[in-house]
Amino acid sequence: MSFFENFAFEAGVMARSFGEYMRGPALRVGVTGLARSGKTVFVTSLVNNLLAHGRLPVLAAAAEGRIARAQLDPQPDDAVPRFPYEEHLAALSGPGRHWPQSTRRISQLRLRIEYARAVGWAPGPARLDLDIVDYPGEWLLDLTLLDKSYARWSNETIAQSRAPARIPLAGAWLAHLDGLDPQGRLDEERAREAAILFTEYLRAARADAYALSTLPPGRFLMPGDLEGSPALTFAPLPVEEDSEPTAGSLAAMMQRRYESYKTHIVKPFFRDHFSRLDRQIVLVDALGALNSGPTAMRDLENALTEVMRAFRAGRASALGAIFRPRVDRILFAATKADHLHHASHDRLEAILRALTAKAISRAKVVGADIDVIALASVRATREALIRHDGEQLPAIIGVPELGERIGDQVFDGAAEAAVFPGELPENPESLFDGEALALAEADNALRFVRFRPPIYPKSTAAPHIRLDRALQFLIGDRLA
Amino acid sequence: MSDPRPRPRAFRLDDAGVAFDGRPAAEAPRAEVRTETAPIPDKSASEPLDAGEQAIEAATGARRRWRPSLGALVWTGLGGLVSLALGLWVDDLLESLWARAHGLGWLGIGFAVLLLFGVVGLATREIAALSRQRRIAGLHADLALAHAGDDRPAARVAVARLVALYAARAETAAARAELQRVMTEIVDGRDLVEIAERALVKPLDARVRAEVAAAAKRVSLVTALSPRAVLDVLFVAAQMVRLTRRIAEIYGGRPGLLGFLKVARAIAAHLVITGGMAVGDTILQGLVGHGIAAKLSSRMGEGVLNGLLTARVGLSAMAVCRPAPFQAVKRPSVNDVAPFLFGGAKE
Repeated sequence: MSFFENFAFEAGVMARSFGEYMRGPALRVGVTGLARSGKTVFVTSLVNNLLAHGRLPVLAAAAEGRIARAQLDPQPDDAVPRFPYEEHLAALSGPGRHWPQSTRRISQLRLRIEYARAVGWAPGPARLDLDIVDYPGEWLLDLTLLDKSYARWSNETIAQSRAPARIPLAGAWLAHLDGLDPQGRLDEERAREAAILFTEYLRAARADAYALSTLPPGRFLMPGDLEGSPALTFAPLPVEEDSEPTAGSLAAMMQRRYESYKTHIVKPFFRDHFSRLDRQIVLVDALGALNSGPTAMRDLENALTEVMRAFRAGRASALGAIFRPRVDRILFAATKADHLHHASHDRLEAILRALTAKAISRAKVVGADIDVIALASVRATREALIRHDGEQLPAIIGVPELGERIGDQVFDGAAEAAVFPGELPENPESLFDGEALALAEADNALRFVRFRPPIYPKSTAAPHIRLDRALQFLIGDRLA
Repeated sequence: MSDPRPRPRAFRLDDAGVAFDGRPAAEAPRAEVRTETAPIPDKSASEPLDAGEQAIEAATGARRRWRPSLGALVWTGLGGLVSLALGLWVDDLLESLWARAHGLGWLGIGFAVLLLFGVVGLATREIAALSRQRRIAGLHADLALAHAGDDRPAARVAVARLVALYAARAETAAARAELQRVMTEIVDGRDLVEIAERALVKPLDARVRAEVAAAAKRVSLVTALSPRAVLDVLFVAAQMVRLTRRIAEIYGGRPGLLGFLKVARAIAAHLVITGGMAVGDTILQGLVGHGIAAKLSSRMGEGVLNGLLTARVGLSAMAVCRPAPFQAVKRPSVNDVAPFLFGGAKE
């Protein structure tokens, strides 16, 4: 190789790395949300629509025909599980068509989008590496633990579980707690029992009928691969806040485990994953909370406010030292908008706005753009109008899941039905008033049933509602 | 629960008691279900602007972002060099004047200072006029966007700017006060833009239309009577310049030389873009009118044609100078402003 060729090659390499430096590395988009908010379906549908050139009219680059192609690439972090896109897509569109398994741990997928740049000095072909990071929203709630001592967390959690709405759920655990002596001798069997009962209480509160949300520590619900490890085998005990537990006591061990939970689980997640995100979408299952009642709505509001704390630039000393988030766009999305007639989408958005109002006002310091939309990652219904008893009701048609019920109608998971889920109130505040939880159907003016995934031709991408708008908000500027 | 809201309910489509999309059902169906096929509107993404609005935006370049181009490089470089050459020339001149006699040198310096002041003053005025013109075009685009997207906050901001634009005009005081009041009420973005247009811009439209009509009439008359072709070409050009300036002024602009050139360029672009659209209505009618008039006299036919052209230019000027898009008010056509051109001698 002649000197000149060598020089040209080196110059080319330098120019390219300079270009990459200028362009910035890949764009990392975090997808999160509490359990059953539709994270997996969202990622699957997003990737599917980009890969298969789905209809995305609001995504400017797609509408202008500037996206040449998209493909899956090997992800950059070898230590993080890959998002099993193909499996989830098969679940959605396969013969048995069912909703894919939920997110239990962090996973990642890299999508390479080749597009034509339309602005700037160098219009022409360009590439965007989109890293999608999917993780349970419960983990974000753990951030609040970093500031709390074991004693304080214990007392708060116990007080919360004694609230009237939660008593029936926490009964077994509280009874067990009464028989425990925090200063007594350490007994692994009893500790395990307490942890199991505590976890069961958290699980029960998450169940469909209650749909409560603020339940740290998040790993108890989403243990990932740490299930059964000592760091997850602790539970709150009634201890004094400013007294040191005696060495060798049950309380001392619980406290040590609580601290190692923070050191080995909470901090690494924020350091290695969360702090590296550029964009974030928070999916919210408002319909589940609406089904349950006002207490669940308030609880969801608290949870979202807590989630937002994670995005707040770490002013509080403990947080600032660990990470400095650089998220510059946050989108709150109410999922499952296809469970409503589109005439109600405005109201659903208003409800989400009310849910996130506290969170958003807190986020002013973050300096991030925040938006709120109602979307359906995979649209499972079509719209219809019901005439019944002299009323005209905007409704949706779909196949409700096996066992879902509305009134005296129980569905078999095969027949199509036209469903009127009730009318969302014009004033979202009214949904937060009251103490009710797990409302019986007759008392609730709203009833959202779950639908099976839609049947759509294999050759096309999954149908959706406003997925393109979410994309435009999250990555549109990088495809300009 | 004393809730007036309708209760949730569901109907299986294979139920014989449910009439589904006109399928025959039981004698008296319990319920009727009809599929809706209309797509779900994406309300947050604004609906596209109509063709007329797009033409105006393209013509005024209100949304055009500045992009570096080779042409800009050439002009920047050339402009810099010419300025330097001028400076050098002035310097040389002053030096040689000084060498001739000190009195002459002082005189030269005096003139140079006058020139400097004059140039700075002119430039300031031109820049102010240009930015005002650009602000109006931007306001137009923002109002159009807020209207299309039914965006309440954006509409409030844009209407407040519109009110500020006419703050110095005494006759708009009542309309402005009314708008200030409406802005604090619960009014949708689209409605707010239309209210503002009706209250503030519609009265101006009437004046503009009268100007256009008067100019078209003058041009057609002078063309029909003028003894030489050169004269009426000059007259038509002068009338168009005057008309354009008047329209810009009525709508709140104060075009100087550069501002006028910018408006003229926008008008030319607008004429080119809308030329095709106009074939359907005005030009055909114009040709018919021209045909009839030409039968009477060839000069009269030319007069009609020139009047028609003036009216078209006037309408384009109206479109690009108007601070609000045509939403509540119908976009006028040549027929509306100069009906006398079509109806033979009818006025």
